Amino acid sequence: MALNRRQFLIGAGGLAAAATTMGLSACAPGAPSGGSQGGGEQGGKTALALAWWGNPTRNKNTEALIQAFQQASPNITLNGQPGDFASYWDKLATQTAGGQAPDIIQMDMAYISEYGNRGALLDLGKNGADTSKFVEGTVESGKINDQLVGVNAGINTAVIVANPKIFEKAKMDMPDDKTWTWDQLSDVAAEVAKKAGIPFGLVYLFGGDPMFGAYLRQNGKELFTEKDVGFEPADAQAWFDLMMKFQKAGGIGTPQQISEEGSPGGGKPIDQSAIVLGRGAMQYQNSNQLEALNAASGESLKLLRAPSLAGKATERKAWYKASMLWSASAKTKNPEAAVAWINWFANTKEAVDIDKAERGIPPNAELQEYIKPKLSPAQQQVAKFIVDIKPELASTPIAPPPGGGKLAEIMFRYESDVLFGKASTAEAAQKFVDEVKSNLQV
Amino acid sequence: MSAISELSTVRRVKAKSPEEKRLRAKEAARDNKAGYLFLLPWLIGLVLIVAGPLIASLYLSFTNYSLIQAPRWIGLENYARMLDDPRLHQSLKVTFIYVIVGVPLQLIAALAIAMLLNEGMKGLAFYRSVFYLPSMLGASVAIALIWRQMFESDGLVNQVLRVFGIPATTSWIADPKYALWTIILLHIWTFGSPMVIFLAGLRQIPGMYYEAASVDGASHWAQFRKITLPLLSPIIFFNLVLQIINAFQAFTQAFVVSNGTGGPSDSTLFYTVYLYQRGFGQFQMGYAAAMAWLLVAIIAAFTAINFFFSKYWVFYGD
Repeated sequence: MALNRRQFLIGAGGLAAAATTMGLSACAPGAPSGGSQGGGEQGGKTALALAWWGNPTRNKNTEALIQAFQQASPNITLNGQPGDFASYWDKLATQTAGGQAPDIIQMDMAYISEYGNRGALLDLGKNGADTSKFVEGTVESGKINDQLVGVNAGINTAVIVANPKIFEKAKMDMPDDKTWTWDQLSDVAAEVAKKAGIPFGLVYLFGGDPMFGAYLRQNGKELFTEKDVGFEPADAQAWFDLMMKFQKAGGIGTPQQISEEGSPGGGKPIDQSAIVLGRGAMQYQNSNQLEALNAASGESLKLLRAPSLAGKATERKAWYKASMLWSASAKTKNPEAAVAWINWFANTKEAVDIDKAERGIPPNAELQEYIKPKLSPAQQQVAKFIVDIKPELASTPIAPPPGGGKLAEIMFRYESDVLFGKASTAEAAQKFVDEVKSNLQV
Repeated sequence: MSAISELSTVRRVKAKSPEEKRLRAKEAARDNKAGYLFLLPWLIGLVLIVAGPLIASLYLSFTNYSLIQAPRWIGLENYARMLDDPRLHQSLKVTFIYVIVGVPLQLIAALAIAMLLNEGMKGLAFYRSVFYLPSMLGASVAIALIWRQMFESDGLVNQVLRVFGIPATTSWIADPKYALWTIILLHIWTFGSPMVIFLAGLRQIPGMYYEAASVDGASHWAQFRKITLPLLSPIIFFNLVLQIINAFQAFTQAFVVSNGTGGPSDSTLFYTVYLYQRGFGQFQMGYAAAMAWLLVAIIAAFTAINFFFSKYWVFYGD
């Protein structure tokens, strides 16, 4: 094809524009500028980089924690790298790819095996991490292949938060969460939505994997086994059928409303969620978010247990979730200093005095007792709840295998297909399981 | 570069004796050197910032690369897996609809506004800027967020509809039937940059053609078809090629409006959004790199088709 000069210029312009696409796959947005990473020696002092994601309160707390730690360990300097949740993982991935991972990493359960299984995280157990005072069931979350690669930074549990004022308005009693079944939850949700005249009786229940996990565990399954998906398409179909039952009963909004509200973590910011705006009576959430929800809504929300199949809370197979964990890079030049921070955070009164229950209830049993009177009313309610549900706990679920962290996102997508009539529950369930499995194989 | 060597060519032709020729050639070489020197900043940028990652991405597309572990060579496996990836096919469908519907509509809007502005109204500079503004903002996060809120169930669009007595409660962004169309609408709204180019092109068309046509009794429509379109065709072609290339790479709007999910139900799963999810969400950077190269191939094919058909409708007048 013979080109004249004009055509050549247009083509060249096009090529330049196209080149940006390949740039997208080859370099990350917000990549670190390099050089500022810690891990070096500065005049006899060790400098470590410490990365976390958070909110304004957590950022303030963490800066104060760093100051206090540096006073306690004058030989260690910590360079804080705050971030927000979404971009945190892009940045961490590119930093790790470039061999520049921060020394100390705030880690999430959804990602711990991506890093842990690929040898990017330090074996903290071998390097002196002290979890001897931790409550039972709180250490396991950080173990990958029998190595402790993350130390629980705070305990969480999946809950349903409820707004008592809306129940009052609907002239209904608060439900008895120790005996309710999934079907009763559906009835309550439908009734309260109708009587209070609000779109949602219940929000987020089907969009988050913890509630699906609870349902599976009550059916003798798990979200994941060590290397595979822990449930069959039939289990997923039962869950999708349950969702349609809730939807037809009128408790969880119309398909459009559910879709617009999104899934927890993949939807609206917490201060714009339905329960905060008074559009929902109940909402699935992690327990440590109660305080943020109260602050945003100006209400005193109540914590309710997830329902059970048997109608007995003691058979609901609850578990303690690590709201987040502390990990260290396998490539850190100073493992001792990194572990020193983790031990200090997990086991000293000084640290818990500063951070209180911002990262969840401390897993250290002694510190739990110590900090209780100093907590805000909302945090005290959470702390009490965490202790109260002890008899209801079953084994702690293992971290998802690499590639499994996206289960909730995939599930919500197929739920949307079902809600909008694009797939039957059976088709969607089969595709859902297939897709989660195919991600694990890579 | 080409301008300088063209100049030298002209002078070389004029040179007569062999000695003179040699002298001219030397001069030309010096001119070229200066040219390359001026190009250097751009060349360095091209090699380091574009060509390097480009080659790296081609290599990565043949590997299994999790970002955390070193890339492992797997040959064509990534490309083979694409054949069997339903979400990839969905993302192609979404992107093709976006390009094939969005680009022509955007160009029509751009040309229509450009022709209005070309009528020589008062305050042209002001209007030109106002109409250009959306294309400066269109790909920004801020506008995408506003778009999201406008098309929510309680958003501005429905509120306006309610003023006119239509009880609108549809959430345009949350229903798979409508979500993509809100983003196409956003794309059409950003007609500013092709509009400015059209406007420049319209200014190039000599007024006497229209005068002559009017004298002969040609209608406005006939003038548009017989004068404006043919003389503007190189500009239309230019805009078409560039806008298609840009539209294939649309990312921000879909990413922000759908919260990065491409939802609801993958109805706004743009190719680049899926590429991003694979690369940074699922740590499959090798696959993401292969996807990027498929997109390059698709864009190249579209551009080649464009060039092939251009000879049937683009009129260069020379």
